[in-house]
Amino acid sequence: MNHQPFESWLLDDKYLSATEKRELASHLRDCRTCTALAETGLALRSTKVASPAAGFTLRFQQRLAAQKVTERRRRLWGLIVLIVSGAGLVSWFAAPFVYAFISAPVQWLTAAVGYFLFMFTSLQAFSEIVKVLSGMVPSFVPPYAWMVLVSTLGGLGLIWIVSIWRFARKPQGVTA
Amino acid sequence: MNEEQTWVSQAQQGDDEAFTRLVETYQTPVFNLCYRMLGEPELAEDAAQETFLRAYQHLHRYDEKRPFATWLLSIAAHYCIDKLRRRKFSMFSMDAEDDEGNSFEIPDINAPNPEGESIKGQTQARVHAMLDGLDATDRAAIIMRYWYDYSEKEIAESLRLTVSAVKSRLHRARKEMAGVWQEEEDDLLAEMERRQHESPAF
Repeated sequence: MNHQPFESWLLDDKYLSATEKRELASHLRDCRTCTALAETGLALRSTKVASPAAGFTLRFQQRLAAQKVTERRRRLWGLIVLIVSGAGLVSWFAAPFVYAFISAPVQWLTAAVGYFLFMFTSLQAFSEIVKVLSGMVPSFVPPYAWMVLVSTLGGLGLIWIVSIWRFARKPQGVTA
Repeated sequence: MNEEQTWVSQAQQGDDEAFTRLVETYQTPVFNLCYRMLGEPELAEDAAQETFLRAYQHLHRYDEKRPFATWLLSIAAHYCIDKLRRRKFSMFSMDAEDDEGNSFEIPDINAPNPEGESIKGQTQARVHAMLDGLDATDRAAIIMRYWYDYSEKEIAESLRLTVSAVKSRLHRARKEMAGVWQEEEDDLLAEMERRQHESPAF
């Protein structure tokens, strides 16, 4: 028999029958490559399992505690930066209004009341339009279009809920 | 549900005691894999600790259909492969740095160290040296195969490779190791012959 099957047996760690074992032993007497393969296989299997130094679990607990502290600190700093930047942004946007209110309060209040009145009347007009359209449109739109619309809205709603759930889900570990 | 699954389930619900039991159970296999991969006890300790930390942080991602040990060793193997690749890259400079920027000595497998001294027998040292010469992923495959009796399919799942890729990597690594082994045998024979010639004639 040539060299190839013996090499494959050794590389695949094939379970050998008694006859195959005899053939392999005979081949190993002449083939140095296969002998080296067999010897490295034996050496690998006979190498002992290395164990960590005593107190590994304790060292892990200490490391985990330190990691939790670092994570908490990081989150706190993140929150502070978020609040400060949010407050800064709001202040920046609100500054002109605050300045206008301080310099001429009566004029500012009149403008604000006018703005709210405009918003209120606009909303009223919009609701009237919607009311009229809701009485007219259903007769023009076929039922399958309604089904498509409702399904699309339902799908988008589901995606939205899943997204919120995924972001809000508390990860295991360091936040515990 | 066996004890291990109960611990995993409890740990997933935030029970640190349960996770500690998992650490106690798997510290040796994880450390052994890291040690065989990195070749230094200090680096192995750090890698094993980091493995458990990562497992703790990503426990919610663990798929209960897979054995926990396979998942854990997969984390360890990937961490070590990454570490070895970085080490290889930093070999260009005299000093290397770890993740945190701390300097560490480039490991020399032949340098005397307490762990090295404690390794009994020449075979252990030779296996160590042979592993050191392998590519990081090949090394992980060999360790999983010969220390943990993993099947090619399990190795493929752990290292995110195809079964045929694992097979070819194992074959290549075994041949490479056999080559080194043979060279060492030749050197030993040559040394013995040289000594015979040098010995005084009676």
